Amino acid sequence: MRVVIAEDHALLREGLVLLLSSAGHEVVAVVSTGPEVLPALLTHRPDVAVLDVRMPPGFRDEGLRAALAARAEIPGLPVLVLSQYVEESYAAELLGGGARGVGYLLKDRVGRVDEFLDALDRVTAGGTALDPEVVTELLTRRGDSPLDSLTPREGEVLKLMAEGHDNTTIGRTLVITERAVSKHIGNVFLKLDLPPSDSGHRRVQAVLTYLNKVWGPSGPPR
Amino acid sequence: MTGMRKTVRQAARATAQLAAVAALTFGSYLFITVLLFTAVATLVVVGAGLLPETVLLVRRIAGAKRRRVAQWTGREIPEAYLPVTGPLRARLRTVTHDPGSYADLRWMAAHYAYGILLFLPLLALWPLGLVLDGLWCGLLRRRALVLPLIGRLADLDAAWSTALLKPSPKALLVERVEELTETRAGAIAAHGAELRRIERDLHDGTQARLVSLSMRIGLAKRAYDRDPAAARRLLDDAQDQAEEALTELRHVVRGIHPPILTDRGLAGAVRALAASSGLHVTVSAEGLSDSGNGPRAPAAVEAAAYFVVAETLTNAAKHSGSDRAEVRLARTATALRVRVRDEGRGGADAAGGTGLVGLRRRVAALDGTVAVTSPAGGPTVIEAELPCVW
Repeated sequence: MRVVIAEDHALLREGLVLLLSSAGHEVVAVVSTGPEVLPALLTHRPDVAVLDVRMPPGFRDEGLRAALAARAEIPGLPVLVLSQYVEESYAAELLGGGARGVGYLLKDRVGRVDEFLDALDRVTAGGTALDPEVVTELLTRRGDSPLDSLTPREGEVLKLMAEGHDNTTIGRTLVITERAVSKHIGNVFLKLDLPPSDSGHRRVQAVLTYLNKVWGPSGPPR
Repeated sequence: MTGMRKTVRQAARATAQLAAVAALTFGSYLFITVLLFTAVATLVVVGAGLLPETVLLVRRIAGAKRRRVAQWTGREIPEAYLPVTGPLRARLRTVTHDPGSYADLRWMAAHYAYGILLFLPLLALWPLGLVLDGLWCGLLRRRALVLPLIGRLADLDAAWSTALLKPSPKALLVERVEELTETRAGAIAAHGAELRRIERDLHDGTQARLVSLSMRIGLAKRAYDRDPAAARRLLDDAQDQAEEALTELRHVVRGIHPPILTDRGLAGAVRALAASSGLHVTVSAEGLSDSGNGPRAPAAVEAAAYFVVAETLTNAAKHSGSDRAEVRLARTATALRVRVRDEGRGGADAAGGTGLVGLRRRVAALDGTVAVTSPAGGPTVIEAELPCVW
């Protein structure tokens, strides 16, 4: 697939190019500052964009803003946002336009090459990849919510589901059969009173919408 | 008759006030004798040790007078003295350099005269007043004329004493400098402690992990040819170590300066904090830009404010029993104000609780103050003020 990379740190930039090329992907453009991102994406129309959050000139959230701008210009453009730290509110902003083709991961995750490439594939195919840390934070909110009624296993399934994994991966990760996964997912949806939905981004969206409610009425900041 | 009774009561109150004035005046006569003695003794060195004690005594007398006058007028007279501490030489220097010492002496000398001046007319006013006002007010129901004069005398004493005992702008400045010297020392100590904590975190945590990581990679390289399976295990371990080091590093960084502050400014960061607190939080920010693009408070102040909100929201979520809170940030001419209020059960211990203590220390390091009000039954309100101009 064709990838555009935006990363200001030279070592990481080279590492990413190496990693993606060795996995058989074509890196069509590499940029290192915020303002360069959108033009590069408009010119190359890649299959997926891998963006660092913090970049020159401001070293703030240029990458995130570029991702939002790009998705406004090119609806449905898959973007995988990488960051030195994850912030729930950023996840909320990214997912604000729908969970289709959105990834938000800690940079650390790049080290787990297979998992990273898997997440990239998922995002490119219109799926979702949310960092476990974000999901954990969402799930470990203050109690008195129906989340407490989940069994530990159901909780694990919910977590993996929110990260964007499909039943096969969930089953493999938890070492249970796919049938068991389906059963757990059915229970989770029932307990959380969610409309049953198929696998994929729509399911992630349902789960995130639910967790968003737990986010409270102050909601994700705009 | 009630008019007269009231007049007499008021006059009696004023008399008590003036009697105290007179008593103090007579006391002053005695005291000035002591003072002169001390002064002479100081000159001949023998009594140098007495001087600080004498000054402290003067302060106490002046303090009693301040309270007395405050009772009469209902207005506090502020004090501004330098603390008298340390060895004799330091104490001597303090008492002789303190403008307050001389102000007290001036007041005492003046009071020496006006104390008597104000008291003596009483002796005539009372019999005269009882007769005249008894007729005028008691029988003819007119306004009393003579007895209220006693009140005016007490007013005069209060006015003169206030003018003389009020600290001069210079004394206030001296006191402020003293205070700032103290808080600065505190700030430097807190800063030092903070640096040591960061150093320890990096040394014991991150650095140790990186060393062990490097070691594992070295071992994996050795095992590479001979035992690929073992090499793989070592590399797996190494990767785990690297990830843990990264996680730790992130925590350390967050503790120093939360990255979201840089990205979004205080208002944005606090909103994110509120959104992820699990509580229904309303956030208002007065005079702060919401995007982080406008003028910003100094980074240390923003970080401290952020920690105040983070800590109090965590506490509210954990202990208050309420699911609502309110955060107010306001920029004033001289400070950044943070106020967090929850509608919970209250009873937060302002002194105890490591969270609150740490928070206080962090704020004090910036010469700021934290006020905690948390009556049983709530609400709990934490207010922090961080002096800064931006």
